[in-house]
Amino acid sequence: MRMHIPAPRAHRTRRTIVLAALALAAAGCSSSTSNTAASGSSTTPAAAGSSSSAGAATVSSSQCGSKAGVKATGTPIPLGTIATNQPGTSFTDIPNMAKAYFDCVNANGGINGRPIKYYIATEQTNPAQIAALAKQLVQTDKVVGIVGNTSIIECSVNSSYWQKLGFYIIDSGIAPECYSTPNSAAVNMGPRYSSDGAVQYALTQHVAKVVFDQANVPGTGYIAAGPNALAKAANTPIVDLTENVPITDANSVAIKEVNAAGPNGAVILNFTPPQALVILQAAQKLGLENRVKLWGCSTPCNTDFLAQSLGSKWNGKLFVNAELTPPDDTNTTAMNLYKAILKDYGSSVQGGIGSFSQMGFTEAEIAVHALQSITGPYTVQSVNAAFKAVKDFDTGMLCQLWTYGDYPLHIPNNSDWTVTPKDGKMTTAQGCTLISKVDPQIAQYRSAAGTAANAPTSS
Amino acid sequence: MPPWVDFEPFIVSGLALGGVYALSGVGLVVLYRATGVLYLAFGAVGAFGALTAWSVTTRAGAPGWVGWLVCVAVAAAVTLGYGLLFGPALARRDPLIKAVATIGLTLILYGVMDLLWTTSGGRARSLALPSDNGGFTVAQIQVTWTQVIALAAGVVLTVGTGAFLRFTKLGTAMRAMANDRDITATLGVPVRKVEAAAWLGCGILGGIAGLLLADLVALDATTLTFLVISSLAAVLIARLRSITVTFVAAIVIGLLHDLLTPITSLTSYRDMTPFVIAAIGLLVLSRHQVMTQSREEA
Amino acid sequence: MRATLECASPARIARRPTRPQLIKAGVTAALLLFAFFALPELLSLYYIDTMTQVAVYSMVTLALGLLVGRVGLFSLGQAAVLAIGAWAAARLLFATTQPYPLVLLEAGLITMVAGLLIGLPALRLRGLYLALITLMLAGSITVVLATVNFPNGGHGFLGYNGGLLHIPPIRRPGIAASDPAYYRYSVVVAILMFALVLAHIKTRPGRAWAAIRQSEPAALAAGINIWFYKLWAFALASFITGVAGGVLAGAIHYLYSINFPTQDSITLLAVTLMGGVFSLWGAVVAALLYQFLPALLNNWGVSADWLIILFGLGVLQVLTTAPAGLADQVPRDLRRLGRLLRRGRGDAA
Repeated sequence: MRMHIPAPRAHRTRRTIVLAALALAAAGCSSSTSNTAASGSSTTPAAAGSSSSAGAATVSSSQCGSKAGVKATGTPIPLGTIATNQPGTSFTDIPNMAKAYFDCVNANGGINGRPIKYYIATEQTNPAQIAALAKQLVQTDKVVGIVGNTSIIECSVNSSYWQKLGFYIIDSGIAPECYSTPNSAAVNMGPRYSSDGAVQYALTQHVAKVVFDQANVPGTGYIAAGPNALAKAANTPIVDLTENVPITDANSVAIKEVNAAGPNGAVILNFTPPQALVILQAAQKLGLENRVKLWGCSTPCNTDFLAQSLGSKWNGKLFVNAELTPPDDTNTTAMNLYKAILKDYGSSVQGGIGSFSQMGFTEAEIAVHALQSITGPYTVQSVNAAFKAVKDFDTGMLCQLWTYGDYPLHIPNNSDWTVTPKDGKMTTAQGCTLISKVDPQIAQYRSAAGTAANAPTSS
Repeated sequence: MPPWVDFEPFIVSGLALGGVYALSGVGLVVLYRATGVLYLAFGAVGAFGALTAWSVTTRAGAPGWVGWLVCVAVAAAVTLGYGLLFGPALARRDPLIKAVATIGLTLILYGVMDLLWTTSGGRARSLALPSDNGGFTVAQIQVTWTQVIALAAGVVLTVGTGAFLRFTKLGTAMRAMANDRDITATLGVPVRKVEAAAWLGCGILGGIAGLLLADLVALDATTLTFLVISSLAAVLIARLRSITVTFVAAIVIGLLHDLLTPITSLTSYRDMTPFVIAAIGLLVLSRHQVMTQSREEA
Repeated sequence: MRATLECASPARIARRPTRPQLIKAGVTAALLLFAFFALPELLSLYYIDTMTQVAVYSMVTLALGLLVGRVGLFSLGQAAVLAIGAWAAARLLFATTQPYPLVLLEAGLITMVAGLLIGLPALRLRGLYLALITLMLAGSITVVLATVNFPNGGHGFLGYNGGLLHIPPIRRPGIAASDPAYYRYSVVVAILMFALVLAHIKTRPGRAWAAIRQSEPAALAAGINIWFYKLWAFALASFITGVAGGVLAGAIHYLYSINFPTQDSITLLAVTLMGGVFSLWGAVVAALLYQFLPALLNNWGVSADWLIILFGLGVLQVLTTAPAGLADQVPRDLRRLGRLLRRGRGDAA
């Protein structure tokens, strides 16, 4: 879907009224807070409490831009993205949230006065289509940067194209090439490193065996290599399973996993939320949830919605790797800005507050930060050089400071939380923990880029 | 080869899966015997009803039983509408053409479902029935009442509709119509009314099956719509004739599918079970004769 | 007796082509030349890539239309056959350095053998049973593919390495590396496949198939070996689809099992029926419906769901009112419109 037109009429009217009110409020206030301000205080890692900062309580969305209330005019800066949108798998919330951020910036000063024009292309996991969309974005829409890509296979299909043209992409990665090529840096950890995080937590709980089950979509071998390395280093046996999705017989899947894990084992899942839900619900109906020591899940399970659907039997039983700052527990400027922008501009974001929209926010935030540093014309060269130059940026949404840099591969988000459902919400079980460098890819990245410092706003 | 005790829980879950297949399979054969149409939209119609029930109960906050009624009503309405609109036009055509026409309905419903109930990022829908809470334990795993109901529904359907079609006037009229509409009309049977009754029954069955399957499998349009393909295996083995054979075949397929799970070399291929059994069964059954789906066989 | 038959054979009767036939041939040639030379210059790369897909799938719908329209065999497993062809081509392209046309030929032959293995026992079934067993076989192949995966440059028979960090792309022929060049390449292959089918239709197999479709007992009585000609149709359809799979592999560079779900076979049948199974143009129309229309709608921001609904309605329409599909109906409607206009002008004069 190509979207380069601002929000529909009704939304625009509503937004104008809000902007007018904000402009009045801003007139009376002092200068806006920059979103790179390290205004939070850190808390103890295991606590589920929030980190707070003075002045973080009331944040208006106008703080997204440099000039509150001033609409950006002038030649638009075209950016593009490709996201999967097909029955059963839809990542459109991520670019839609990025677009909300860009809309906010456009309404509050733009990038040095110029608005961002964001082209969103959706695909149905068809390699021909994905390749064609990339060419359309570059040759027809003439985008100067790619921000927000979230696709099951796009990184694999287009990585050589982006390398050839010199595009440095900021994305939410899934395919191996999102994390193993010089031209892609993700704000999330992706299935492999997120599964690493879940398995790592299970290993710290001294489980006797790990069963790693994942959806049979492209890249299972690449994904499983991480958990296998971790388990091997911990001298814990690991069993790798895959399931064809969509799952029609969750009962046999749950029984198989539980039998393989044994009473002191852990079952770690790597599925999209609907499939993970189906398996966990089946386990519950079969009465199996207590037959293993613990259950784990990679980041897609990190939604309050899942916590609500599962119910209280899973309190403290299911441990989910969280790639992004838990929104409910956090009261920082960045988090409140995210919620404000979501409220004011994010009407097309269907999932509401959650990791998808957080990823979109973070990617847009990084892009805007990079774009604002450019003096001179906005070309493919200048924009992508600016993206590459982002270093030690506090997004307010991640454990660590985020860096793009000039490395052969990028895994800038390699430290995470673990959350667990508690009475319908996901709460923090363990604070920021680095993914172990026993995973060879992590080791390779850290030897090139070093270990990023924790963001001051993270807990 | 894993020890026998590893297989025990899979026998129970296999019976449950067999019940799922039986529900769709028996429904398909019953409908074929009554209308002469292999109603491939059975799964889609059930999914449509179940999603509507979800909207009514979860979004609008109506009580559960209202949702169930809505589900059955919607499925019945869609099926009746299709039957009345396209039944007469296709009545004289080959059973193959009539089945392919229901593929058209399936595609329409599938598109409409994805439009109305979009896939949004992190959310998943689920429909719970009160019979989920409670059951009994067999071979160290819990069996919910829903699974028992599904199996029982399959049995009731098999016995009940078999008797209905054979012993009642309406049932006989339906079978006659499925065989040859014109001759039945000349015999003085009110064909339009009987046809409407058959399609209405279709739809109600589809709605009930949709509710149970949405609970037992997943509330997902794609899964439920194309689940019918796996159920076709049992239908094919029964050669679209015997409801009892369909039921038994479905149970066997479900059992076999789950019993393959602990065998590591075959576990990734276990989703093939319905297809392989159907293919082998058909080829074995047809080894001495050419199998035609002529109208006389209905 | 034999002499009489020889005298009566069509080859002996010299016939000059009639005017409508000449016009039709001329239009066809003009369209093909336009498609080959002019189209890539006029379209953006996005649409050129789309038209390459149209060329690939026109071969698939051609094969399916052949089965459905000429022989009356409804196959609900064409996507699986395409997957086999793509798999074979990918394996050969990674494992060998054979020239591309040879790989396409081999992929076609391998798929043909697979088609024969399926066809031999399956042809004992008729009508609905045959359609359903093709669906069952397609379901099996989909599951096997999900486990076995497509070759991606790995070793062993399956050629699949699951742990790759950088998946190598499937190569293209040297002369057709760029997208517009590959488009032209796929158009040439498609034309060859259409010519192959045309050659069959105009000669004995075509007449035998027409007789079988008309009435099997009558064909049997006329001495036609029904089983043999049905098998031939199966083999030809599988060959063409296998070649299409080879062209697809080079077009998209990366093959995934999730791109060949069982649902696709159903949608393929739907568009083939809509395009029209009794004419070769119907295959092109079907491919346009299947690949061009979704690309267009995606660009306009219209959800692909509307297209699925359209296909469903199309199937119902074709089966109830217009059995010959769009390829037959549109020219007929246009002719009818033309007649109406001429009559109106005549009245007014």
